[in-house]
Amino acid sequence: MGRQRPLLRLAALIGATILLPILVRPVVAAEIWIFAVAAMALNLIFGYTGMLSFGQATFFGVAAYTAGLMMIHWKAGLLVCLLAGIVVGALTAAVIGYFCIQRLGIYFIMLTFCFNQMFFFVAYKWTSVTGGDDGLPGIPRPPLALGPLSIPLNTSLRYYVFVAVVFLVLFYAMKRIVESPLGLIFQSIRENPSRAAAVGYDVKRFKWIAFTIAGAFTGLAGVLYSMMFGIVPLEVISWVTSGDIVFMVLIGGIGHLYGPLIGAAAFKWLSEAVSVLWERWPLILGVALVLVVLFLRGGLVEALARLRLALARRRLAAGAGAESA
Amino acid sequence: MTGNGLLRTDGLTCDFGGLRAVDSVSLSVERGAVHSLIGPNAAGKTTLFNLLSGEFPPTAGRVYFEGRDVTGLPSHRIPHLGIARCFQRNNLFPKLSVLENVWVARFSRSRPGPLGFLKRVADFGAIRDRAREIINDVGLEAKAGAPAETLSHGQQRALEVAIALAGEPAFLLLDEPTQGLAPEATERMTQLIQGLARRYTILLIEHKMHVVMSISDRISVMHFGRIIAEGQPDEIRRNADVQRAYLGVRR
Repeated sequence: MGRQRPLLRLAALIGATILLPILVRPVVAAEIWIFAVAAMALNLIFGYTGMLSFGQATFFGVAAYTAGLMMIHWKAGLLVCLLAGIVVGALTAAVIGYFCIQRLGIYFIMLTFCFNQMFFFVAYKWTSVTGGDDGLPGIPRPPLALGPLSIPLNTSLRYYVFVAVVFLVLFYAMKRIVESPLGLIFQSIRENPSRAAAVGYDVKRFKWIAFTIAGAFTGLAGVLYSMMFGIVPLEVISWVTSGDIVFMVLIGGIGHLYGPLIGAAAFKWLSEAVSVLWERWPLILGVALVLVVLFLRGGLVEALARLRLALARRRLAAGAGAESA
Repeated sequence: MTGNGLLRTDGLTCDFGGLRAVDSVSLSVERGAVHSLIGPNAAGKTTLFNLLSGEFPPTAGRVYFEGRDVTGLPSHRIPHLGIARCFQRNNLFPKLSVLENVWVARFSRSRPGPLGFLKRVADFGAIRDRAREIINDVGLEAKAGAPAETLSHGQQRALEVAIALAGEPAFLLLDEPTQGLAPEATERMTQLIQGLARRYTILLIEHKMHVVMSISDRISVMHFGRIIAEGQPDEIRRNADVQRAYLGVRR
């Protein structure tokens, strides 16, 4: 029962990864899925566990710099860098998260933000390593080495295919996490933390696990981003990037598996398509965000569901009208 | 430290600033008994429950469960001892379905191992079956798929009990399970508790006297944080102090 619909959605998602580089430039398409990974990681802690982190750029940025430096100085391979991104993202999140989860609500948000600012200033001032304001340039994009096979990812379309495959794997992993007992425990903590404790769950421990998992996903996204343009701009670790990730989740739909993907696509498409026409495009984003918060708490996912419901009603009404006539 | 009850407290005390909410309470609940805790509002009954379920630690005194000192254990450790609690105010997972509410409480007491966390919720057939059984026991089978927030108050009280039962406890702390229920629903809840009485040791807070008198093996009366009387229902009914402190004031 209800098994077909999820499969249909999964098929639609795979279709979207194939169609997207035709609709927009492959670079933009790759960027969409990279940020979709970061957004679905935030969705795990915000939408499913109930903790709004305003510091996800910390993990994105630290991993991007780490991988960038590994590729520049050690000529590290592609998969090694991805693995490093997971480890560095998870470790950074484990340390920062340990402190942040000690507090609730606005204090939690401020702590994630403050840690983000600390890491930002380290990256900004430590110019000999990070390049500071100028960014970290000259990152080579290593080929995908699978045993004896070495596939160069030297065109943006090839890189897109690689990113899309990694994204699909990560999405499936996230889907399994959300559908596992862990996912239900996270949701029970979001719904009622004191009751979750009263049935025997160590709430802080599970919050910490959620935060760390999200850090791993976000770190991986950061590594994919660092390889894309051959440069790690300072912006990746700034609060603006943290804010963008929050926007994507809010616009797409909180606590819904597909929400962050739709949000990331809408956000990046808007910034790509509209910014060419009008440089004050973030204004549109601001208005969209206000509208979502005021009228559409479930984001674009809810908008789609409402639209479908309205269409079904109209069809039903039309059918009834035809019958009575 | 007298008696060999399943749960014992020894001089349990809890201060809130200058207010002594619970005042050196020594209580012993015999294994298999339905032991009721009655007393006027603000007598300290729910605070006593909070001390037993680890919501906060006592100012002084000890709690023993199965002879083991469990004083001050955090609330998430208490269910794993075999103590489950149902709350005075509905304390559920509102957006989760009835089945998920019970499932998550039942899963907490299973030992899935680290690999269990990689499976899907749907893969745990035994847990789901047990959760459904409990949902049937409390009469919510028709609502298993509904989000908890859509249930009526009476159904939510039943779910509250179901979540407690899902912890497979030996000892149940029931805080006013009939609170806010209409007469017929009260009757149903009373029967439910009577049905549980044979299988669990129960400490019950209850205000409805006919319920207390009909199902209790033993009654303790609290007033201003102290236990002022303890005995079988008939003894309590005749006790002059109790009538003055509680029944007299209320009627």
